[in-house]
Amino acid sequence: MSDTRLNTIIAARGLGKRVTTAAGPLDILSDIDLEINAGESVAVLGVSGSGKSTLLGLLAGLDLPSQGEVLLADEALHLLDEDGRARVRGQHVGFVFQSFQLLPSLTALENVMLPLELAGRQDARSQAVELLARVDLAARETHYPKQLSGGEQQRVALARAFAMQPAILFADEPTGNLDSATGKRIIDLLFDLNREHRTTLVLVTHDEQLAARCQRRIHLDGGHIVAAPVEPR
Amino acid sequence: MSRLARWRLALRLLVRDWRAGEQRVLAAAVVIAVAASTAVGFFTDRLSRGMVNQSADFLGADLVLESPRPIDEAWLEQASARDLKVTETLQFASMVVHEDALQLAGVKAVQSDFPLRGELRTAPALYVPDAPVDTAPEAGEAWLAPRLMQRLQVQAGDYVEVGEHRLRVTRALTFEPGQAAQAFGLSPRLLMNMADVAATGVVQPGSRLSYHYLFAGPEAAVDRYRNWLADRITPSHELVGVREGQRAIGSALERAERYLGLATLVAVVLAGVAIAMAARRYSERHFDMSAMLRCLGASQREVLGLFLPQLALVAVLASALGCLVGWAAQYGLLYLLRDLLPVAPSGTRAWPILAGFATGLVTLGGFALPPLLRLRAVSPLRVLRRDLAPLPSQAWLVYGAALIALLLLMWRYTGNWALTLAVLAGAAAMAALLGLLGFALLAIGRLGQRQVGVAWRFGINNLWRRGWGSVAQILAFSLALLAMAVITLVRTDLLDAWRTQLPDDVPNHFAINILPEQLDAVEAFFNAHDVPRSQLYPMVRGRLTTINEQPVQRAVTKEAQADNALNRELNLTWTMQLQEDNRIIAGRWWRPDDRGQPLVSVEAQLAERLGIGMGDELGFRVGAQAFSARVISLRTVEWDSFRPNFYMVFPPGVIDDFATTYMTSFYLDADDKPLLAELVQRFPAVSVLEMDQLIEQVERIFRQVTLAVEYVLVFVLLAGFAVLFAALQSSLDERLYEGALLRALGGSRRQLRAGHLAEFALLGAVAGLVAAFGTELLTWLLYTQVLHLDYSFKWLVWILAPLAGALLVGAAGFHGIRPVLQRSPMLLLREG
Repeated sequence: MSDTRLNTIIAARGLGKRVTTAAGPLDILSDIDLEINAGESVAVLGVSGSGKSTLLGLLAGLDLPSQGEVLLADEALHLLDEDGRARVRGQHVGFVFQSFQLLPSLTALENVMLPLELAGRQDARSQAVELLARVDLAARETHYPKQLSGGEQQRVALARAFAMQPAILFADEPTGNLDSATGKRIIDLLFDLNREHRTTLVLVTHDEQLAARCQRRIHLDGGHIVAAPVEPR
Repeated sequence: MSRLARWRLALRLLVRDWRAGEQRVLAAAVVIAVAASTAVGFFTDRLSRGMVNQSADFLGADLVLESPRPIDEAWLEQASARDLKVTETLQFASMVVHEDALQLAGVKAVQSDFPLRGELRTAPALYVPDAPVDTAPEAGEAWLAPRLMQRLQVQAGDYVEVGEHRLRVTRALTFEPGQAAQAFGLSPRLLMNMADVAATGVVQPGSRLSYHYLFAGPEAAVDRYRNWLADRITPSHELVGVREGQRAIGSALERAERYLGLATLVAVVLAGVAIAMAARRYSERHFDMSAMLRCLGASQREVLGLFLPQLALVAVLASALGCLVGWAAQYGLLYLLRDLLPVAPSGTRAWPILAGFATGLVTLGGFALPPLLRLRAVSPLRVLRRDLAPLPSQAWLVYGAALIALLLLMWRYTGNWALTLAVLAGAAAMAALLGLLGFALLAIGRLGQRQVGVAWRFGINNLWRRGWGSVAQILAFSLALLAMAVITLVRTDLLDAWRTQLPDDVPNHFAINILPEQLDAVEAFFNAHDVPRSQLYPMVRGRLTTINEQPVQRAVTKEAQADNALNRELNLTWTMQLQEDNRIIAGRWWRPDDRGQPLVSVEAQLAERLGIGMGDELGFRVGAQAFSARVISLRTVEWDSFRPNFYMVFPPGVIDDFATTYMTSFYLDADDKPLLAELVQRFPAVSVLEMDQLIEQVERIFRQVTLAVEYVLVFVLLAGFAVLFAALQSSLDERLYEGALLRALGGSRRQLRAGHLAEFALLGAVAGLVAAFGTELLTWLLYTQVLHLDYSFKWLVWILAPLAGALLVGAAGFHGIRPVLQRSPMLLLREG
């Protein structure tokens, strides 16, 4: 928290998510209060089913909470409709996913260009070329995701995530589908880029080692934020 | 994102998806739908415009007066006085002889200024391009329709005999104004000069002749003359103006358009089903993309803005291609119907293209839009939870859109909402019935699968698992097979029925126009050659004009007003002897003292149609003379017997004084045909109707029309294939995965192939069975309710339809499934 702005960029108040299942209502998340400052890197930790991804979805405005509210870059997400939230995402948010989520019908370069083109940027191509070079994939511009290895695909996804120079980057288990060596290279790259772009990072993982590289760790258990690290069950 | 960038991106996505084969089925289905409808559109447009453009041309004049006998010279003088051009033609049926060949022809004798409007087209010989000519045949010349030339095996330069006169054939007559009046006419034309008519000896008192007087001039003068004539003509005259001529052909064309249009519609609907299936798969394959786009900040509108332009591009490109195919395909229709076209087709025009595009857009909009709209509703959360699919499109939206699309298309062809709804309801009921049957057959197959080998089990399982998708394919193919089977059956059965109604030894020829003074000679001729024949009947041509002193048109019901018997001259006869197959069902036959009494015996069906009862007073007109007679009996007649039969029979001594000819029917077997030539050479006025040729001519027309419909049905079959490929594509991922898995588990490529082959062959066979059932049902309804043919079980269809289905669908499906066999299981698992 040394050289970055100290203002809050994500705030969650009384956040809860309840779904209806065959067995009755189920609270996936409840009573989440959370503030993340600009430039901060935060790891959200927890075992499978603890509600990590649900929290990420709510914070990023991909989903709406059943209770409480989220402020993202000073926008109250619950007051916006889906298109409004999409606009906020387009302006402030980047994503990295466990399953990469590249569009199979676009080349590596086109995948990186996509958010820039959606924002109507004239320099989409040159920016994308630059970013691909930054993740060491200059030679792979015209390859389709199918023709890339998992690590390469995730690097393309990283380049895409940083293309819009988002204020906030949400990463959902970014190494979950990769072997440990490749995973480590991806994480190094992620943190490098994060530093270069001074991005706020919200990283969902179950990997304590990876979490340790973040400035702050938030532990989830059964849909609640818990103070102490949770022992693996 | 700017609109331009969005379009660019959409285009790039389209190109990518196209390479991946995503939209090919969609596009192919649109091409089929558009091609089918534009082919018919171009065809009917060119004909109907040909009709409008040539309205005066095809009449050969601005006004035509038809009369069974020469008209008052004063009428013609009146026309000349009004500065109208006048020319005269004489039409009659006559045997035309060349060496041993003879053929009944529709002879038309014309003056050298024929036609007044439009032009004749001729060719110097058979099979060479034709060109307009501005003359008519010179005296001594004859121009023959190509069909007549073929039949008689004559070439330009040969001689033919018409009655007692020899004419030199100089040209092939390819188009003639006035053809329209006998559109779809039976006898091929021979055109000759009026100057030669007398020499033929054909024209005798009582001969069946048709004099046509053609008038042309300024519109106002023609109108005034028409009004002048209208006050003078009798019921035996007929005035045909441009409008009447147009109406007659117009309604024939409209009917043709309706049949072809409905056949087209089946193709369009099936294409729509294929489109809906392909669009659904396309949409599902793009859920992830839509979610990602939403994640990256695209609004719902922007997401649609990426996908809809692709749809629009496919629609436009595929419609354009469809129009092109349709444009080419219309020549097939023109070719198949070439002999029957009432007018020379006009040049192509743009509107069928517009209509084609409209068909493409409506079909695509109605069937593809609802599944595609789901893309808008994909939640961005799907990037985290892959299982999150958008809510399915609401059923009313999907079916509502498709239904509206259907109604619009159907209405275009029927032009009538009641008919549209009736056809739609009938089709829906039929589809539901056949669909259920297909489903039941699948269920039966599933029950039986324990008794069959592994390949068949695999096939049956696959079909059953894809339940309604399989039923849709079965339905598509069964409809195509059914339509073709019904058309073919109706054609052959109708023709067979006509043929079998001509048993051996029953008269198969009619001789008409036998002159009273030749009566003895003709009888002697038949006796000398031992030809079995019926009695010789006298014939007087006259019109029924009044019923109980009311003009017939007013005395009968509205439907009966169009009855042919009221609108032409009837053959009246007299005899003392009741024909053996006639039966009196009311009243009594003649007693000797009825001779000379004004009495008449009326054919029972005609009496019923016109509402004529016993004791009614019927008024007749023969030439300029009128007389009346009281109905004293009603008779049933066996029209099928091919003996001379008459609506009106009088006792001797009532109409004997009118101009009379005689007719008889006789039997000749094929070997004795040369006798006909001798007969017409000795008695040139006599016309011989050969029943086998008449049937052949009707058959020719019928065959051409049904071929044209079958031609359009090819598009239905193609649309069936589109449905198959759409269904294949939507199950391809699953099949690829299963195939890889099976191979990984040790299944051989051969086993996999056999399994798929079994699946598609079975699908086709079931479709064939369903088609056979539908055919049976439909032909039964048609035969018993409409055509009044003897219905028999169509066992051949039950064999051929499943066989054809199994072969066609088996081959096509197997072709579509090749990737499953060709891919290495390793590659698949890596991709999966």
